[in-house]
Parts: sequence; C-alpha cells; structure tokens
Amino acid sequence: MVADSRDARAVRSAGRLNEPRPARVEANFDGTPWQVNHIPVSLLREEWRVLDRWWTESPVVRRYFEVVLETGENTVVFNDGAGGGWYTQRGA
Amino acid sequence: MIACLSIPGFELKAALRARPSLELRPAALAPEPGAEPLIGPVTAAAEALGVRPQMRLGEALATCPQLVLVEPDPASAEQAWEEIVRGLEDAGFAVDPAAPGIAYFETRGVERLYGGLDAALRRALAAVGPQWDARIGVAGRRFAALAAASVARGGQLLVVRDEEVGNFLAPLPLSLLPLERQRSAELEALGVRRLGQLAGLPGGAVAERLGPDGRRAWGLARGGAAARVRGRRPPSELIEALEFPEAVGNELTLRRALGALVETILARPERRDRFVRKVALAAHLVGGGSWRRTLTLREPSTDADRIRIALAPRLAELPAPVLELRLELVELTEPSGHQLELLAAGAEDRSRLREGLRQVRASTGTGSVCTVVEVAPWSRIPETRALFVPRDD
Repeated sequence: MVADSRDARAVRSAGRLNEPRPARVEANFDGTPWQVNHIPVSLLREEWRVLDRWWTESPVVRRYFEVVLETGENTVVFNDGAGGGWYTQRGA
Repeated sequence: MIACLSIPGFELKAALRARPSLELRPAALAPEPGAEPLIGPVTAAAEALGVRPQMRLGEALATCPQLVLVEPDPASAEQAWEEIVRGLEDAGFAVDPAAPGIAYFETRGVERLYGGLDAALRRALAAVGPQWDARIGVAGRRFAALAAASVARGGQLLVVRDEEVGNFLAPLPLSLLPLERQRSAELEALGVRRLGQLAGLPGGAVAERLGPDGRRAWGLARGGAAARVRGRRPPSELIEALEFPEAVGNELTLRRALGALVETILARPERRDRFVRKVALAAHLVGGGSWRRTLTLREPSTDADRIRIALAPRLAELPAPVLELRLELVELTEPSGHQLELLAAGAEDRSRLREGLRQVRASTGTGSVCTVVEVAPWSRIPETRALFVPRDD
C-alpha cells in the first residue's frame, strides 16, 4: 500500500532560520567580548541592544556585538539578558 | 600583575598642545558638533571655579562666564595617543589600548627586564613623558588596576596586592563602575554609595533588582573577573594625504580628491598584496580643528571603487572646509585573508540547479531540500524573520 503523500507533507514542520547557537565567549569587565569560541577578538565593529516582547512571559533582552576574529571571520554574538549565556547568530 | 595607565582628560590635553597658554586658565573641551551639548574634560582652573566634566554647556558658562571652549581635535588626539602607545611598546610592554587615555599591560614579562615591578612601571611612565601627567594603577585584575589608576595622583604608581583588593575598593565611589546613570541613581536611592556596600550585597538579589548590568557591576565591585591582557597588533602605517591650496568645502571636489587618494594608497608597494580591512579618513579643517572617521569594511578588499563608495558618504559629515585630506589604511589582512565567493552572482544555471536538487532529494529523502520563506522581515529578532520550509516539488 502506498502512503498518502499529503499526510507526509502535513507532518513536516518548518524550521526557524538563523536560530541562535550557544557560544563560549569570554567578556571584558564592560561586557564586550574578547574571545569567541577560543578565538581572540581582533575588532569590535558594532554593538546594539534588542529589547522586545517585554509584554510576554518570555521577553527578549539581548546585547549584540558584531566582531571580527583574529582568523578574519566576521561574526555576531549576543548576551542573553533574560536567560543568561552567550550565543552566536547569523543574519543579525 | 596588570597595570593600567591613565591620563585623565586626555582629549583636552591633546587639544591644548596647540594652545599651551590655556592650560592654566579655565577651559573645557567643547561639545562635538551635532552631539548633545555636554562639555568634555576641564582644566584644573575650571574645576576650581565649579565647572565639572559632562556638565551642560549653558550651565558651565553660567557657572564660569570666563570659561574658554577648546575645539576638539580628534585627529591630533589619536596621533598623540598612538605616539604614547608606541612609546610603551618600544619599551617592551604589550599594550592593550582600551580607550584614548587608558591602556592596560601585563607587567610579568618586563619585570625581569627592568629589575623589578617598580622599575618597570617607572620605565613606562618615562616612556609616556611627564607632560601628560600619567599615573599607573597595578593589581591582579583589570578593574582593580583601573580603580587604582583613577585614585592615583599624576606621576604616582599605586600597587594593590591581591589580599588588599577588597579593602582598597570598599571606600571608592560607584562612579568607577560602568553603570548607566539611572542604575547608579537607583543604587544611591537604596543607600548604596560605595563599592564595598555593593560588594556586600548578595549577588542574586542585585541581579534580581538591577538586571545583568547590575550583576556585572556587583562582580566588578568584588574585584572583577580574571582576564589576561592581550597586546594589540600594531596598526599599519600607510598614509596618503592631499593638501589643498585653499580650503575646500565642495563635496564633489572632496570626492575626487578621495578617489585620487584611494588609487594612490592602494598602489603603494608597502601594501604587499594585503587586503584592506579598516580605513580612516581624516581632515585638517579651516580654523585649526580636525576631523576623523574610521570605517571597517564588511569584507576586506583592494577594490578602489568599493573603498571609495564606502568612504564617500562620510565626506558629507565634515563640519567645515578642509585644508588637508588624509587617508590611512589602519588594518590590513594577510594576503590569504580574502575569501572568494563559491558561485559568482547570476552564474547559476537554473535547470542544472533543479536537477541537482532532485538528485539530492532522491539520495537523502523527502524534507532534505528546503526553501526560505520570509515571514516577518521587519522583526528585530533575527530568528523570527524567516522560516525554512521543506520543499519536495
């Protein structure tokens, strides 16, 4: 018997693009990162904050940093002010 | 140990180098054009008359009508700071310049070279020179070293041993902490005015009341986290300047001059096939001031057009006509630091791509090929902007 392909399609769910990934970040006393995943930060390009969904039970409180690592890689990390911890994220 | 070299009011001291007669008069650094009208650092004479740094301009002039406003000179301040950092590096210190007027370095590597901690620090002060009135604080951690430097007098070395850190920090004011004004006011309203009082509170309660910034401040009040000091990589010295016969304010002329500077600097043999990551555009302005903007390219490049296009909009920010325009290549990559695109834009062959995707699906099963659908491109939270949806057609 052949399975109904529409059923198979129905159970597949969409995923989120650019989900944050946990990162190992060492920060200076002012909270700016100096090492990301054991690679030293060569340049801090930009910093911004995102405060959103404060009216819900899971507010978003993030401090983002766009950094250039010593390997030349451009990456964005953020510190999660609500749940704690550091994450890398693409598309920020 | 970590040493923190501090030069209070560095920008003002740098700007006063051109007008030394003002050093003994009440003077303050004027606000940046277009910024909030708050004065910068002030001279001792101005402070004696009641003027404080970060005071509103109107309030400062009302407090001290004879106050002289000194035009900021960021280009010469940056140049002076670079000279200081290089002086320290020439003396053997691996310096981490945190901000103009504040630099950190490890003393461990040079103590033996100069015959002890005290001799090494004296050598550092000598490398900076007496005219800057520098002071050095030394401790096991960065924040404690910064706190020590902020209470030391000009020319003084203040060493805080690990066992003394708690007692040393306890009576110091909260203004040393990198806290927003609102948070400091909140703490003051609670009767917390000293680092020792903050350090004595339970960390969890501080975090609950003041959030992550407060928790970080609490950690600093207890001495701060242990972190190494990493010496900077010295910047490159590729500079091209164009002096105009008369002051130029016309943006079209400036754009042409910028184009010529970009072409010339990229052709310099010292660049040695390295790609440009960070550039600075500076100008000497008519009337004696200066202007400077730095820009980090999103992707290292040697494309003259790309660099010119990235820099050109900055010319519109010039506050006055220009006597000299200067372009600096501040940071260069290694020759291998440039990553090429896998596929050039527009080069994909759609039918071949479709066939390739069909083969991927056939070998890995349904759901392995997805398409990206934008659902909330305006969202400030990156992961909510788009979804990837399995695609089997």
